[in-house]
Amino acid sequence: MSPLVATLWLVNVTLDTGGQLAFKAAASDPDAGDGSARWRHMASRPWLWLGLSAYALHLASWIAFLSLVDLSKGMLLASINMVVIMLGGRWLFREKLTPLRVAGILLVSIGVAIVGAAG
Amino acid sequence: MSAAAHTWRFYLGGFALLLVFDTLVQVSFKLTGAHAFPPEASWAWVLRIVGHPWIYIALIGYVGNFFTWMNLLKHAPIGPAFAASHLDVVSVMLASAWLFHEALTPVRLLGAGVVVLGIVCLACAESRTHPAHDVPEEAAGSLGVTSGD
Repeated sequence: MSPLVATLWLVNVTLDTGGQLAFKAAASDPDAGDGSARWRHMASRPWLWLGLSAYALHLASWIAFLSLVDLSKGMLLASINMVVIMLGGRWLFREKLTPLRVAGILLVSIGVAIVGAAG
Repeated sequence: MSAAAHTWRFYLGGFALLLVFDTLVQVSFKLTGAHAFPPEASWAWVLRIVGHPWIYIALIGYVGNFFTWMNLLKHAPIGPAFAASHLDVVSVMLASAWLFHEALTPVRLLGAGVVVLGIVCLACAESRTHPAHDVPEEAAGSLGVTSGD
């Protein structure tokens, strides 16, 4: 793996993880309320915008990454994002990592990697 | 309706809707790409794309996907939810085989089976661990917000 590909992979994992964790922070704010008031509350705080910005940059980094590696290899490497996001959820939101949850997340990651490897 | 039944309806309805939007987006992009073929760096190609109704259906799917995802994350833990959202890999594969006659190779089917097995594990995990149990009573997440309902 060339330094450029490795850098883009790291950027991709960071942006995907950061974006999803920001979305979670925005969506699960207990002060947000319901309905349209919830959306006004989310729009007035940085998490939603941070998530959307990270998502847009993630798309750009993903396209750049895929221009350098095959889609199958890209999907294989991107399947690690699920594990990193799982750990991020544990760290930031105290999400419980039960054996079944960990097994489920690992199986989905492996399954996506196999589909990607099939081309 | 009991709280558990309400939680299950919330998760099943939310993820089913997410799956429909995800699949619709990918199928719409494929149809748009086929209509605009061949890809080229020209305004003619852009005009072929924006002149096709499927690109707008894809955009509607993107918006629907975003609102559904943000609604799900109100209660769903991000780790398992993000993994479960990858069920679209299976639905897009099946839709592609049906609509575009793409091959369902044994390796692809094996991967799809492993994804489904993982989703079954996640569903069993949620039935055993109510999201409310994710949150220690006196502990908040590092961001000051906590997961679960």
